[in-house]
Amino acid sequence: MAATEIELTPDQRLALETELRTLADDEFVLAERYTEWQVHAPTLESDLALANIAQDELGHARLWYDLLEELGYDETDLLWERDPDTFRHATLSELPFPEGEWADAIVRSYLFDVAEGLRLESLEESAYPAIADRVGKIQREEGYHTEHAENWLERLATDDEGGDHLQAAVDRLFPHALALFVPTEPVPFGAETVSGDGAGSQYTDTDALPDAATVEETIVAEGYRTDSLATLGERWLDRVVPTLESHGLRTPVPADGEITDELVPDACGRNGRHTDDWDTLYADFTHTYRELGREDATMIMDRPE
Amino acid sequence: MIWEVFRQEKPGDYHTHCGNVHAPDREMAKQFAVIQHGRRKPTESLWVVPQEEVGEVDADEVAFGGTTDKSYRWAMAYTSSTEHAKEVIASQQEQEQAEADRQRGDD
Repeated sequence: MAATEIELTPDQRLALETELRTLADDEFVLAERYTEWQVHAPTLESDLALANIAQDELGHARLWYDLLEELGYDETDLLWERDPDTFRHATLSELPFPEGEWADAIVRSYLFDVAEGLRLESLEESAYPAIADRVGKIQREEGYHTEHAENWLERLATDDEGGDHLQAAVDRLFPHALALFVPTEPVPFGAETVSGDGAGSQYTDTDALPDAATVEETIVAEGYRTDSLATLGERWLDRVVPTLESHGLRTPVPADGEITDELVPDACGRNGRHTDDWDTLYADFTHTYRELGREDATMIMDRPE
Repeated sequence: MIWEVFRQEKPGDYHTHCGNVHAPDREMAKQFAVIQHGRRKPTESLWVVPQEEVGEVDADEVAFGGTTDKSYRWAMAYTSSTEHAKEVIASQQEQEQAEADRQRGDD
């Protein structure tokens, strides 16, 4: 069913767009980072594996961006000419890899892939049919991403040196992974759509936007996602914390398991605030587009159904 | 450690050698093999085998067969032309003629 056939109220549309941006931006930006490992990974095999994963994540980002396109955006609006402040990926995706730090790539992938797996489960029964339709294809690929990360994690943890690298990565990345479960600050729409269509025009004004928590409630109430971020976050902690501990790794989660705001970085991405590294990454991936003076995106294949 | 990879495309096919992967153990070898040899091609199953477990004999050690020229056994010289066999052609024409006559007779 095409999205355009469904009548959306402005609040529904805002909720839907917010969830889709969150999903798409996480995948796209992480894939951008992963590709930096090309020809630099420790072995040919790990290089190919991460390249494959990056390619999958770009494909997943495409699936979600397509749904935003059905709502009236085009690829330039969503990527190449988009205001970098309107990206909503968690900062976990955007952080640069410390030079040659393979343990960072593994921990990051592990934390992200477990979270993504849980989020996808909660989209299986989405009330928005186009979302539910796309989940299965993504899940088939995500399974081996998690397995790949777990395999590496297990092996790096077998000696002290590997363990030290993993611990440094966990210390650095864990707070940014918690950002995955922070409600997303909505982006005003209409303003950047080419054909800012009527229904949403009231949300072109930033001041009139509902806050992130309200939008999150709408996402769950409308059934676009069937579990709240709070629930997903608890499930994630129940899974990653014991696993990391079983490898002798400490997490910043206190003994009572209570996640407080202090554990999450101020610039967490979901709230529209990013690290300085994001500006550099954005400039990098839009560089060629700008250098060639492009005004639209080149498609080499027809859009998938 | 090097693991040789064998790929089977369809059930019942032989597993055919398709390359190798570097991996510290069997589990990682299987995963890398899947990524490199099973993700972009139709695949039914993959084997990974430690390279040192492969037994090899080469031509320096034994005399392999198949070295005598027996190309006469391969029917490479037959030609499909029937130009040289006039009597075959004549016989064929006769039969066709007889067939045609018989059909006319049935009408």
